Amino acid sequence: MAALFDYDENREAASAAKVRALEALLIKKGVLGSDSVDTVLSHFETVAGPFNGARIVARAWVDPAYKRRLLEDTPKAIAELQFPGMTGAEGEHMKAVANSESVHNLIICTLCSCYPWPVLGLPPYWYKDPVFRSRGVREPHAVLREFGVPIPAEKEVRVWDSSAQIRWFVIPERPANTGQLNEAQLAALVTPEAMMGVALVPAPPAV
Amino acid sequence: MFTRFEEYAATQMLGQLDSPPRSEGKLVFSEAWQRTVFGMALSLSKQGHFEWEDFRQHLISSIAAWEQDACDGQAKWDYYERYTLALIAMLEQCGVLKPGELERQIAPDDANG
Repeated sequence: MAALFDYDENREAASAAKVRALEALLIKKGVLGSDSVDTVLSHFETVAGPFNGARIVARAWVDPAYKRRLLEDTPKAIAELQFPGMTGAEGEHMKAVANSESVHNLIICTLCSCYPWPVLGLPPYWYKDPVFRSRGVREPHAVLREFGVPIPAEKEVRVWDSSAQIRWFVIPERPANTGQLNEAQLAALVTPEAMMGVALVPAPPAV
Repeated sequence: MFTRFEEYAATQMLGQLDSPPRSEGKLVFSEAWQRTVFGMALSLSKQGHFEWEDFRQHLISSIAAWEQDACDGQAKWDYYERYTLALIAMLEQCGVLKPGELERQIAPDDANG
């Protein structure tokens, strides 16, 4: 087994060396700037991603008036938070729906896999899966049970189909016993799956 | 539909054979070089050195070549190794790299000797 691991380490080192050499060569040729990689990746790492959605949800949890505005006019309420890089078209076409004691919301896309990127980041691999798409519409309770979210049969599940016109996201229910947490701590609890409706936000571990 | 090249590029790959590893809405890089090579391809295409779709076809071919290897002796799956090979092939095809140029950069003595 040791030989196998050595081999993998060598491969890893060879790939790293190859990429380093390629980057140096492209910078030398003037086709790549020394900060090009950081610039392009900052889009995924700091501009558009689930960290934005988590902040929106946390604000809605602590500020009922904000939550009302968010449900009424989602793009306008998102703009209030002044996310860097999310201006104009980036925040358009989004619509928030709120989970409650009587309603659970699930987001799917039966068309082209539209997804509210700026607030949820990259969709998971199963989002484009034809089985998830069709069963989400037909039997949402069963699909949610498979995701580990058992919703009582009497509780309504609303399924929202994202499209180029409207990209939905879910404001999950705030977990119990989180009264002592501040907004940033609350945001840290919110996952992209919870904002798609395929997970609940778990209560934080007891201190 | 996409106002940003970054979103267009990543979305084209999702649900396809060349879909990049990700978790919790974010790209997953287990080593710094993986992040570098991902960003290089995106940046070079964004600048217009090649079409993103053409790069994707190289990546899909690179992945298919690995899948066709015999199980016995097949190298362990490494998405970003396939990605690196695809980017080099793309850059040689569009003329940014001359054949053998990268090898000389990696080991100048070997290439000269």
